[in-house]
Amino acid sequence: MFEQILFLLSATATIGFTVAVVGTNNLMHACMYLLGTLFGVAGLYATIGADFLAATQIVVYAGGVVILMLFAIMLTGGAEDKKNRFGIEKIPSMGSTKTYIVAGASVLIIAMIVLKMTANIHTANKDLAVASTGNESTVFNIGSLLLTDHILAFEISSILLLGALVGAAIIARPKRN
Amino acid sequence: MNSTIVSYLSQFEGYQKFVSMASSFLGSNASGYITFLVFFLGAFVIVNVMALIGGLGTYAERKISADLQMRQGPNRVGPYGILQFLADGVKMIMKEDIIPSASDKFMFTLAPLLALLGVLATFAVIPFSSGLMLSDLNVGVFYLIGVSSLVGVGVFLAGYSSNSKWSMLGGMRGASQIISYEVPVTLSILSIVLLAGGMSFGTLVNAQSGFPHEWFILHNPFTFIGFFVYFIGALAETNRAPFDLPEAESELVSGYHTEYTGMRFAFFALAEYMEVFVVCGVAAALFLGGYKVPFDLGDGAFFTHTLHLPEFIGKNIGQVLELGSFFTKTLVLYYIVIWIRWTLPRLRVDQLMTLCWKYLTPIALFNLVGCAFWMYYFEGKSLYVLLFKSAAHAAGAGH
Repeated sequence: MFEQILFLLSATATIGFTVAVVGTNNLMHACMYLLGTLFGVAGLYATIGADFLAATQIVVYAGGVVILMLFAIMLTGGAEDKKNRFGIEKIPSMGSTKTYIVAGASVLIIAMIVLKMTANIHTANKDLAVASTGNESTVFNIGSLLLTDHILAFEISSILLLGALVGAAIIARPKRN
Repeated sequence: MNSTIVSYLSQFEGYQKFVSMASSFLGSNASGYITFLVFFLGAFVIVNVMALIGGLGTYAERKISADLQMRQGPNRVGPYGILQFLADGVKMIMKEDIIPSASDKFMFTLAPLLALLGVLATFAVIPFSSGLMLSDLNVGVFYLIGVSSLVGVGVFLAGYSSNSKWSMLGGMRGASQIISYEVPVTLSILSIVLLAGGMSFGTLVNAQSGFPHEWFILHNPFTFIGFFVYFIGALAETNRAPFDLPEAESELVSGYHTEYTGMRFAFFALAEYMEVFVVCGVAAALFLGGYKVPFDLGDGAFFTHTLHLPEFIGKNIGQVLELGSFFTKTLVLYYIVIWIRWTLPRLRVDQLMTLCWKYLTPIALFNLVGCAFWMYYFEGKSLYVLLFKSAAHAAGAGH
């Protein structure tokens, strides 16, 4: 019962905050709502027993990405006057009735297709899903998988990160004549 | 099995009897409700005790700083002025709650809540004793790092939303400082995780024992350095002097909380003092043996088997000893943090970043690799074991 309550809370937070993200005009507020969304997703991970993934979600997004976004918005002045000098809104509202109808219909169709495609998996793994929501640790499994089966992807992503780090250092370095 | 406050209580007959009584009374299985109730009460008590410790922290700060500067400190309210923090709290509640008209009101009200939330959420995994742990998550330390980074978001938002130059500078300094110093802190925690072989606080603390030579700080030279790297980084993460640049009084009035009054300001102050307790508690748990008591007195076997006390009393005496061990270590570190604050001058911003990125981070990386090599070559034996064993071997023991 507690897992269902947790799931309902997380799902409500995820959807509600996401609607708030696209609904607000203020970029900084949108960023804060996004923080709520990311916490909701972490709650969803925790509901299905992926504790490591939930903690990673909080560490990476709440600690790193959201602060970086806040910095970027603040430094580029995205949160300042919403109207330009002609009185026209710089940040228009997100779409009109037409776009809402088209987006809603396409979301429904895609959701139906995905549900139809994954229906077999849901019915087949019903017992498995219930059994795996115990208190077993996912850290050990993720660690051994990362360093055995997926070592290539792991190393490639680390090289990518190294490249990003070096690139940032080169861009940020003061120019010398 | 995760050791929590419920699993500790459920080993006693009285608790099981109570659960079965409640089940027969309700007509259905009541263990779920009682578990919820116990967790609720535990969380309630811990949050309130920690708020009390945060309040007493302000008193300790003023009294210790007075000692260091040969002053009296607060001495009017209560014996030795110990009720000063209550008087401060009453004053904070009575003050007018001012929200600057040019501020972003939504974020101005959200910021102190985020700062306090980030600290309060960490108490879920702090190992006060082997029985008094709200949740022994498998990813305990990782979770703690994650939720405590919310404090950085709170500090930054406070600086941004106040719409004041001082606050803005303080908030930006705070956010950059907290993000930067998370790197060496996390790397030093990682080297301990490597030694213990797990991220839950239960695993980390149980890999150590009661005596100093069995603690991780004296396990090998790398962890000894790692403790100091962690401690310096933790000082910077909690915005304490010599790293109190976000609230540098002489430059920025009072930094990110310049525009805050009343309870909103008190939330920031409380969050800071509780976070100091948290980082000291984590340092005690990771490096200084946590709640472990010498001679394994903590599990209560000595009291029940040798002194023939009832099991309930024996175990609880053990728990009290463990609590005493944990709080003693943590509060000694707390004292050192305050002592450092009133001894060292403040760093400049460039010195702060140089210290983090050019000194602490490489040292922490070196420690991590060193710990990995130590695990590989010496199979995780501590320095004491190696020296003692080799000395005993040279003296002819074992032949």
